[in-house]
Amino acid sequence: MTHPMIQFDKVLKAYGALKVLEDLDFSVDKGEVVSIIGPSGSGKTTVLRVLMTLEPIQGGTMYVDGEPLNRMNVDGQLVDASKAHISRIRSKLGMVFQNFNLFPHMTALQNCIESPIYTQGKSKAEATDEAMRLLDMVGLADKAGHYPSQLSGGQQQRVAIARTLAMHPEVLLFDEPTSALDPEMVGEVLQVIRDLANSGNYTILLVTHQMGFAREVSDRVCFFDGGKMVEQGRPDDLFGNPQNQRLQQFLSKVLEAG
Amino acid sequence: MNRIAIVSALIAFLVGLTAATFSELRIFLPAILKGAVVTVQVSVLSIILFLFLSLIAGISRSRGNTAIRWIATIYIEVFRGTSLLVILFWMFFVMPEFGLTLSPLAAAVLAFGLNYGAYGAEVVRGAIGAVDKGQTEATIALNMSPYRRMTRIILPQAIAITIPGLSNLTIELIKGTALVSAVTLVDITYAAVQQNQLHYRTVEIFLITVMLYYCLAQFVRFGGEALEEYFTRHLNKRV
Repeated sequence: MTHPMIQFDKVLKAYGALKVLEDLDFSVDKGEVVSIIGPSGSGKTTVLRVLMTLEPIQGGTMYVDGEPLNRMNVDGQLVDASKAHISRIRSKLGMVFQNFNLFPHMTALQNCIESPIYTQGKSKAEATDEAMRLLDMVGLADKAGHYPSQLSGGQQQRVAIARTLAMHPEVLLFDEPTSALDPEMVGEVLQVIRDLANSGNYTILLVTHQMGFAREVSDRVCFFDGGKMVEQGRPDDLFGNPQNQRLQQFLSKVLEAG
Repeated sequence: MNRIAIVSALIAFLVGLTAATFSELRIFLPAILKGAVVTVQVSVLSIILFLFLSLIAGISRSRGNTAIRWIATIYIEVFRGTSLLVILFWMFFVMPEFGLTLSPLAAAVLAFGLNYGAYGAEVVRGAIGAVDKGQTEATIALNMSPYRRMTRIILPQAIAITIPGLSNLTIELIKGTALVSAVTLVDITYAAVQQNQLHYRTVEIFLITVMLYYCLAQFVRFGGEALEEYFTRHLNKRV
């Protein structure tokens, strides 16, 4: 049986009367790289945040690898998920934040081994080996002993990516990973994400304002507006021949701004 | 040669003057120092209890489940909302009515620890709330347990924020221990009052009293600064 890696089934996210996501149906296949674009307030970041369980949803069901995330099966009935269930399903997800969110009181290496040791029960030696391999992969093996305050924004974000990969997630969620960076550091972070996307090892959901990058790495691009997915398609179709009027307006504004 | 003689004479004169002024120092100083020992005893034990309660109640109020949060809130509001002196009287004079007889020292430590712990809990709660929300989100994304999140990520950062507030409360607690004479303990202040009644050397006695409190406060100040330095050594100030 094949099932999508990520599936949103009529998901509702609301703050009081304000509906941020409304009856969202959306799915991502295993190994697929999907970019989400849209104006601010469109709900695109919220898609990642509710999936990562950073915020509760008010209706619907999210599935990860065929299993419900926010609900669970008890005697054939779907009930609200227990913390243990959420934790088990959530372990397949990893998230990279706009503001990196590294732990400032720990070195780059300590950031990368903290959760593998305490959450996954790895030995310190094993976790350190793995973390050093990942730091090397993002080009920062020589910065392992540095604290976040001693690293540039681009370096911090690469450490944050290594920290996420150390947990062996199957799905990577990138929430505007380059939006807080100085322009000259955007490239180094995008290169790491490009390598991950091309490796085919991960299912990737990327929220971004880097239209050129989204077009380059994505298998599919989704345009969100007003809490709904308004249009989706292959990058060349969506960027080259947008159907929806709001998407056309959005793209012309974004491309105008360069 | 001449200059050395003049300086020596000057020093000898000043030492003589001081000795004459404080000639009765050896009569009343031992009693005041004995009082200082009591003040330090009450202070140190109260500070341990106060810091412990601050941490427990502060964490409980910010992250506990509903029942624990309620208990912490009731504790904080009861002890913040009542007079320390009255609590001290309760511990020493009222509790025996309910079959719990406490020594003066135990009554004082309990009263001070409970009272200042209530204030400290709010300092801790504020500090936990001041840690960047992104830190919590990162721990969720890394699937860390709530316990690990608190002990490994949030508290190490929150403690740095609590130190100025907790140092303040600690200094206030030490000076506040002058109240313990109400439960028969002879601390610095009460010893000074007694010695003044005996010897009438008001200026010297209360000068020494003030200096002793000031020295104790300086210990806390330097300790607090060293701890703050230690806990913030790697934290970047977000711009």
